[in-house]
Amino acid sequence: MARYGMVFDIRRCIGCNACVVACKQENSLPDGVFFTRTLSEDYGVYPNAGRVYIPTLCNHCEDAPCEKVCPSGATYTREDGIVMVNDALCIGCNSCAVACPYDQRTSLGKDLFEKGLFGQGKITDFEKQGYTRFTPGTVSKCDFCSERVDSGLDPACVVTCPTDARIFGDLDDPESKPSKLIKERGGRPPMPEKNTRPKVYYVT
Amino acid sequence: MATRDFPIVGDSLALGYRFQRHWNQSMANAFFCGELGAGVFLAAFLYGSVIGMIVGVLITAILKTYFHLSHMGVPERSWRAILRPDRSWISRGAISIVFFTGAAILYIVLGRLGLLGWLGLADSAFGQGLLWLVQLVAVVFAMVVMVYHGFAIADSSSIAFWNTGLMPVSSFSYSFFSGLVVTMNLDPRAGAEAVGMMPPIHSAALIALVLTIIVLAAMLQAANRGAPGARKSLGLLLREGPYVKAFYGLVVLAGLVLPFVLLFAPSSRISDVLILVGVLAGYYTFRSLVFKVGLYDPIISFAPES
Repeated sequence: MARYGMVFDIRRCIGCNACVVACKQENSLPDGVFFTRTLSEDYGVYPNAGRVYIPTLCNHCEDAPCEKVCPSGATYTREDGIVMVNDALCIGCNSCAVACPYDQRTSLGKDLFEKGLFGQGKITDFEKQGYTRFTPGTVSKCDFCSERVDSGLDPACVVTCPTDARIFGDLDDPESKPSKLIKERGGRPPMPEKNTRPKVYYVT
Repeated sequence: MATRDFPIVGDSLALGYRFQRHWNQSMANAFFCGELGAGVFLAAFLYGSVIGMIVGVLITAILKTYFHLSHMGVPERSWRAILRPDRSWISRGAISIVFFTGAAILYIVLGRLGLLGWLGLADSAFGQGLLWLVQLVAVVFAMVVMVYHGFAIADSSSIAFWNTGLMPVSSFSYSFFSGLVVTMNLDPRAGAEAVGMMPPIHSAALIALVLTIIVLAAMLQAANRGAPGARKSLGLLLREGPYVKAFYGLVVLAGLVLPFVLLFAPSSRISDVLILVGVLAGYYTFRSLVFKVGLYDPIISFAPES
């Protein structure tokens, strides 16, 4: 069974946010909700200043703290390593959200599904068909586009990235692209000191 | 961990410290009411105050439950909160509150309001054994409720300021101290004299206050010497930002200094009420501020080392 993970190539990310838009479209996310975000880090002083773009999303940790603290068992890990939320069980206590060191959980308040993407209180047909996948009041997050993965496709953010800065694959396969990148360029997981064993790595 | 001195970036898309906003004011209210109610029950139990025990149970059973349910995204499913006591402090707390509330009500009704006597069981071995059992369960689970909120907060290693073993200790000391103050106001006769091994209630409150001050000081010192995120949160309380005035004014002055001074003075009804108002204001503010100044660390840094 595969153990899915992702690698971000920081040298390639240009901060275009196409991944963010693709994610919002693929998952029909309400206004203000992001399953992936691209952060920017400014450094130095002119004329030696620079900026780095850092994509972030759920790290689908091997030792997920969100899963440990969930009182209802809504958060679980699939056999292929993707950490999922069963929103039929979620009670919306947000314990997972405060437990996640990466702040990658989103509470889907009921008002989010009422105001509409354009803030006019009208829900478009696109939103109507997409919002049915959510239960208002529950907590949600990136699931590596599990439905696409189950169909043999890559997540929407990976497919959309114009510079191939996002690489998705089986971390247990030494010949997979992410495994090779981690080995050849020294992949760094975010906040290893938290002992969550994330399955997302960064290479420079 | 990123080692640069990052700014607090709020909700912006820059790399830096981000405020936690998932546990908001309704959760702070729930935690405050849960701790306070259990603390009032325990203090009232130790000093034989029936009205105090009743008020304590009501605060936990009604107010804590109301605020916690109002925080839940799907309150109609909240019964599921009890399903994972093996690893979730929320589950453990929910179960503890059920046991505490049930046993406390039984104890009050059977033992203090005389139902056991009315049933003719007061002098029987069964009656005595039943009363002892519900009393034990009520007291033990009151103490669990007093600390479990602190454990639930401290369990989050993602927020450095919260992640300290002193958090549950502060929960217990604050709730017991507040419980004593509430009890001495609700029932001025209770604890006027020493009861068993307990000193008079004003003396007990002074001792509890000193312990609370020591625990709070230790927490702040631990944060000062801890992870960068904890130091940043501490700075929001002590040095800069919108919470400094509330911390010094309500938590320190009203909640700790004023009661300390008044507890040394000869007690009077007015001083007891002032102590009560100050302590509750300080405790509530402390619980609220702990949630407000919680920060997530910056995820990772790629800035060149200068």
